[in-house]
Amino acid sequence: MKKPIIMDCDPGHDDAIALLMAFASDQLEVRAVTTVGGNQTSGKTLQNAMKVLGFAGITHVPVAAGASKPLVRELEIAPEVHGDSGLDGPELPEPTFSASPLSALELMEKVISESQEPITLVPTGPLTNIARLLIAAPHLKHKIERISLMGGSAVGGNWTPAAEFNIMVDPEAAEIVFESGIPITMCGLDVTHKAQILDHEIEELRQQGGKVAVMVAELLDFFAKFHQEMGFEGCPLHDPCAVAWLIKPELFTSQKLHVDIETCGEYTDGATVVDIHGITGKEKQVDVVFDVHRKAFIQLLKDSLQYYHQREVGA
Amino acid sequence: MKRPVIIDCDPGTDDTIALVMAFAAEELDIKAVTTVAGNQTADKTAVNGRKIVSYLNKDVPVAQGADKPIMRPLVTAAHVHGESGMGPVVLPEASIPELEIKAWDLFYKLTVDKGEKVHLITLGPLSNVAMALMKYPSLQEGIEGITMMAGSSGYGNDTPAAEYNIYADPEAARIVFDSGIPITMVGLDCTHKALLTKEEIDSMASTPGTGAKLAQDMMNHIYGFATRFGFDGAVMHDPSAVAAVIQPELIKTEPYHVVVETKGKYTTGKTVVDVMRVTKKEPNVNVALDIDREGFVHLVKRLLKSYES
Repeated sequence: MKKPIIMDCDPGHDDAIALLMAFASDQLEVRAVTTVGGNQTSGKTLQNAMKVLGFAGITHVPVAAGASKPLVRELEIAPEVHGDSGLDGPELPEPTFSASPLSALELMEKVISESQEPITLVPTGPLTNIARLLIAAPHLKHKIERISLMGGSAVGGNWTPAAEFNIMVDPEAAEIVFESGIPITMCGLDVTHKAQILDHEIEELRQQGGKVAVMVAELLDFFAKFHQEMGFEGCPLHDPCAVAWLIKPELFTSQKLHVDIETCGEYTDGATVVDIHGITGKEKQVDVVFDVHRKAFIQLLKDSLQYYHQREVGA
Repeated sequence: MKRPVIIDCDPGTDDTIALVMAFAAEELDIKAVTTVAGNQTADKTAVNGRKIVSYLNKDVPVAQGADKPIMRPLVTAAHVHGESGMGPVVLPEASIPELEIKAWDLFYKLTVDKGEKVHLITLGPLSNVAMALMKYPSLQEGIEGITMMAGSSGYGNDTPAAEYNIYADPEAARIVFDSGIPITMVGLDCTHKALLTKEEIDSMASTPGTGAKLAQDMMNHIYGFATRFGFDGAVMHDPSAVAAVIQPELIKTEPYHVVVETKGKYTTGKTVVDVMRVTKKEPNVNVALDIDREGFVHLVKRLLKSYES
């Protein structure tokens, strides 16, 4: 049976790839896509999600707009990483379908309460929508099987020296999520910086066939430029890790640990404080992912994109 | 030429080994030992400091400093260093006198006052150094650099985010890190790699009644403690900082911008190291990331052997 999931994202180059990977998987059933302000403002991330899905011919799943700003802070965006549109690089046509009339919160509540099976949430942006869901609908908590998220880091940050972007943008939301009691898989920088795609592999995507694969290669051309200027050899595929972990957990290594979220620091807001040595004695509520079998992960991405090519040619 | 140093410490089991090493090193000219509240209370670390220096027959002033962190109550590490601060080791009473002068006044007297410069080695919380910098702004001219056992670029040991010496007095650390004095931070990134195996400890010089035996007893004590906590050997925190001054090529450092968090709910006392250089701020600290373990073991052996003659 397919695992039912909700993708909550802020596309965002790597969010777009994560979405495509999720919809291509025969093990996942995406019941809804919700968007949030993060990499870009919420209006843009909604448009970007619908553009990518429309381009890939996925029009049967509701897409709903979520929070435009963090719970108690002002929104910080990342145009230097994702461009003015939030998805700079490929030319994508306007969306071919309309957004859901429901809000992200309403759509998530509806999907979760109507589902026979528990739902897995896959947030790849700031955790604002998820925190609002947990506050607004605590009775649905028991129907959330797990939250597999891209965010955080056991050591170091990428937006500040101590914090990763998604958690930094809305630390209070992250605190609510991490203290919710729901099992969490944290795909943070520890693993995503190892989940790099190299230049020649981006070329292989471009050549493998299908317009979706070409579009992904063009997304990565833009995304890689920023990361290579930062000193990376290749380009980290942050958000796809949170999806790939659900499809093929055997590609990853993780450790179950207690994690706190810093919200009061002068220099450390948004730090995911990972208790690696078990000093606090607090409950180990997070599977912190540390490593990935990189080549097999890239192969999974290629296979995912092959799915769209086959659909296109009617195979 | 010998390098003039002052050692500020909170003995302390590993502080003891560090002092034994430092006093054996012909590379160093130890001008003074100062003590601070940390691993144990100020009175205990002061007594221990005087006992160690007396035991090693060294004619060096030992001055007591801060009773507590500059803005917080003291949190000792008695669970690591024992009630006396010296683990199971019992030393004879000190023969050198208790001094009236405070640690920070002694820093000033031995440096700016005499027109000389020293290198400061700190093995405990930075309360004394911060006090000195507050009382004597010109002190910076007398301290050519600080090599400290402190901090971490990653995980902590006292809390998940913070190393003990910084956690114990984060405001003091902040004052020191912001002072502009060149800092080499020998933190957990480095010290957790400075492990001694049981065989290495057993092969050290150990003539009874000497500093060598004192150091070896401490190493054995730390070995038992550290291996219970999952380490593969005795962790040599403070000795790493002394080794870094005696033989700087043993450690690999990288210049980074570092700030000290003092307000976090979970991260107070964290040394926030800008490894990815996202702040674009000028590096202010040489962060020790690795140590040549074999070379370190060799140095420790050589220093302890000098107590044999």
